[in-house]
Amino acid sequence: MINRRTFIGGASAFALSNRLFAADTAATQPSADLEKLGAIALNEAKRLKATYCDIRIVRTRAQQVSVNLTPERGTGKTLEVPYAIDAGSFGFGVRVIVNGAWGFSCSPFVNTAEIARITGEAVSVAKANSVLQSKPVELAPVASYKTRWATPNEKDPFTIPLAEKLDLIRAATREVKKNDRIFSAGARLSFRSEDKYFASTEGSSIQQLYLQSGGSTSANAVDSARGLSKSRGFEAPPATAGYEIVPVMNLLENAARIREEVLEHLAAPPVTPGKKDLVLLPTHLWLTIHESLGHSTELDRALGYEANYAGTSFLTPDKLGKQRVGSDIVNVWGDRTNDRGLATIGYDDDGVKTTKFPLIEKGIFTHYQTIRDQAHLIGEKESRGCCYADSWASVPFQRMPNVWLEPGPRETDLDSLISGVDDGILIDGDGSFSIDQQRYNFQFGGDAFWEIKGGKKGQMLRSVAYQAKTTDFWTSCDAIAGPAYFAQYGALNDGKGEPVQLNAVSHGCSPARFRQVNVIRTD
Amino acid sequence: MLTREEAKKITDRVLGFTTFPECSVSLRNSETCSIRYALNGVTTSGFQVAQTVSISVTKDNKTGSTYLSEFDDKSLRDAMRRAEQLSDITPPNAEFMPGLGPQKYAAFDNFVDTTAAARSAEMIPAVRTVIEGARAKNLIAAGFFIRDAIVTAVATKQGLFGYERSTDSRLSTTVRAPDGSSSGWASSQSPDISQVNGAAVASAAIGKCDRWRNPKRLDPGNYTVVLEPTATSDLIQLIGFNARAAEQGSSYLSKKGGGTLLGEKLFPDFITLRTDPFDKRNRALTVDNSGLPAAPITWIEKGVVKNLQYDRYWASKAGKQPTPYSSRVILDGGVESLDQLIAGVERGLLVTRFWYLRGVNYQTLQYTGLTRDGLFLIENGKVTSPVGNFRFNESPVRVLQNVLKMGVPVRAQGGEGEGMIAPPMVVKDFPFTSVSDAV
Repeated sequence: MINRRTFIGGASAFALSNRLFAADTAATQPSADLEKLGAIALNEAKRLKATYCDIRIVRTRAQQVSVNLTPERGTGKTLEVPYAIDAGSFGFGVRVIVNGAWGFSCSPFVNTAEIARITGEAVSVAKANSVLQSKPVELAPVASYKTRWATPNEKDPFTIPLAEKLDLIRAATREVKKNDRIFSAGARLSFRSEDKYFASTEGSSIQQLYLQSGGSTSANAVDSARGLSKSRGFEAPPATAGYEIVPVMNLLENAARIREEVLEHLAAPPVTPGKKDLVLLPTHLWLTIHESLGHSTELDRALGYEANYAGTSFLTPDKLGKQRVGSDIVNVWGDRTNDRGLATIGYDDDGVKTTKFPLIEKGIFTHYQTIRDQAHLIGEKESRGCCYADSWASVPFQRMPNVWLEPGPRETDLDSLISGVDDGILIDGDGSFSIDQQRYNFQFGGDAFWEIKGGKKGQMLRSVAYQAKTTDFWTSCDAIAGPAYFAQYGALNDGKGEPVQLNAVSHGCSPARFRQVNVIRTD
Repeated sequence: MLTREEAKKITDRVLGFTTFPECSVSLRNSETCSIRYALNGVTTSGFQVAQTVSISVTKDNKTGSTYLSEFDDKSLRDAMRRAEQLSDITPPNAEFMPGLGPQKYAAFDNFVDTTAAARSAEMIPAVRTVIEGARAKNLIAAGFFIRDAIVTAVATKQGLFGYERSTDSRLSTTVRAPDGSSSGWASSQSPDISQVNGAAVASAAIGKCDRWRNPKRLDPGNYTVVLEPTATSDLIQLIGFNARAAEQGSSYLSKKGGGTLLGEKLFPDFITLRTDPFDKRNRALTVDNSGLPAAPITWIEKGVVKNLQYDRYWASKAGKQPTPYSSRVILDGGVESLDQLIAGVERGLLVTRFWYLRGVNYQTLQYTGLTRDGLFLIENGKVTSPVGNFRFNESPVRVLQNVLKMGVPVRAQGGEGEGMIAPPMVVKDFPFTSVSDAV
């Protein structure tokens, strides 16, 4: 049996990254060693006439175990293909403002001489770029903090023996494969931690520990005679939490369910296209929220900072407080403080204490996601704490907070959403997703689809996707189930920026109903 | 950047830290300099140094893996112990393949010193050209200029050692009208940064933005399209030739009732699609991701599926030689220019590029996505008016089957993916399924 003590306490006790971030859960102040390293960058930047500097010293750890059961070529015998990785990365990044321009540099060599050298590199970058600066960078005020923060958790996932994790996912794949008609089965558990130290010339010194846990299982079935291959998956809600969320994933029960549903999917008739009502479960709707409302309310997109890659937004600043995005029951929040949200953290990568704020109120667009160097551009006095860099080697910029849809009235349940549909589709799980660069036109598939006829859930369908315009779609939302149905799913790999960076973000919601959406039949 | 000797020293050191019979090591060291700009000014930029060593150790077919960025002896030794401990508790991998012994790699080096040495000061002039060009026309430029130098090395306990280094650079820009009524895009990429032409990129993107103002709305439906090289690349780079998926019934290359379509003529005579890791226009590639020597492969020759890609495990089961993997894709084109292709179209749409392509059906390779940054109506061989964007649902397999004519191929890379050497081409019956208001 291996546990974290064997890994860290024994084998790696003297490695620099582990020593710097040595766990002391009772501590309320950042490590003195980290503070000393941070001060080198801040002092060097001041010496080189930078008007601002921050340094992030970051250690990440990623552990993943997965198992696939797959037929052997020629014999059809079931083979087990496991994969286990436990890996990490360690380094630092320095950001400066010189002559009103940003400069950034980074290195995997964490020592005093290198920190001073890299700070000089960042200053050189800023100086070179300042000749093409359109306006000097202006930072919104921020309070200074000297503190520590950690993701609330009951069980550090890295202390749980790997054998226990492997046993669970092996059992899940065996459960899926119990029916001989299943072609292949898979299961995965993954855990990620990010130890981050932030110091800035604004006086902040912040040490944080971020923990993320997730798991899934999947099934695939093939009908060679008909030339069809279909899959069905179960993705447990990924969360900032410890191992305590793993038992409640119910991987085995869900493995048994998807085993039957993938065969149903393989036998299902294709959808008849046309305008239909949709009832979307949280396992699916999270992604539609993400793409259509999450990205459109990013201020950097709206202003044109992302024009060359991710795109801009139909929600331009002149529409703030005026534009109707959804029906009166659509209330959407930006939030980096909510329980178990993937973007939940104590302080952002600008050193701003995170917060919760409305994005859409009663269907009207009311606020943007912002960071320190943007707030003044829309006349706001402070950042909303949405700054993030996905690595010590990446430049911090505006990333999405958790964006969630407020539940409907307590008495609205899933059955009442379905019973109000004459001709519609119930969709579970995420599938294909695509949206234009201003977040108007989108198309979503799903993982499983059931016909709704005369207010009742019927047979499974295949080859379903829906297309809509963001504002038409959300304005057609006429019912949202109550808080008892609220669930939070999310993305671990939301891409944005150049070079592209990945962000993890959650989107909570209850099941919701949308009227007369254009449904198409796919291949 | 790590030299061959330095890289070998590190991989030897790592291999020396284990007594397991199987160990493979891969090393990556990179230096990147980038300038990002928007609203006609530089925004975020940086100079980044990064390194990673990845380790897999195996005993009794049980494998543990790790990677790390710290290269001191203590850290590397700790990482090796971690991987060994993982191996101890992991079940045997029924598909494990023993490590490769020494291989003979091509002496191909597409490493350009001026690219590797370029820093912000050397890159600013191209950015300035774009920004000043846009500003002079009262337009707004956003873009990204990046160059990198990458060293990779692989080694195994069985004596394999491979080392390669490469450079690449890319400038892309989006120029928009201040009122949001138009947008144009262009890019230029080369392993040699001196070949990245800021003036050409500026001129193409500004020209597109000028011509695409106030696009008119057309109805969705099937259109003949002329795909510029980037649009061709956005679609065709999605085609794969995985043998396992084909044999197992989950690929467009699977035959109904069993078997594959290898050897079948699926495409017109003039379609030849290949990969060539030694094409000077691309970043160098001599070692494939499994340690095999990279080699040119023809996948489709004169319309016939000539090869499927067998990884080492599947090849061993199928009694075949493994196929070296390469992402350096080339679609052989014709001799006509884009303008000549347009001149031959009676009515159609000219597509600058596509965006946000995502798989809808991985068996048929049906993808959905949208046009972006310049869509124009062609009437009687001439570009007559700008058209509003469309969403499509289509498979690149059907696109290749529907090609009518192709032009001169060039290196192209859109917003997503590595890109390829792609020709402009005329394609019939391209299905646009809905309109997009995005500009």
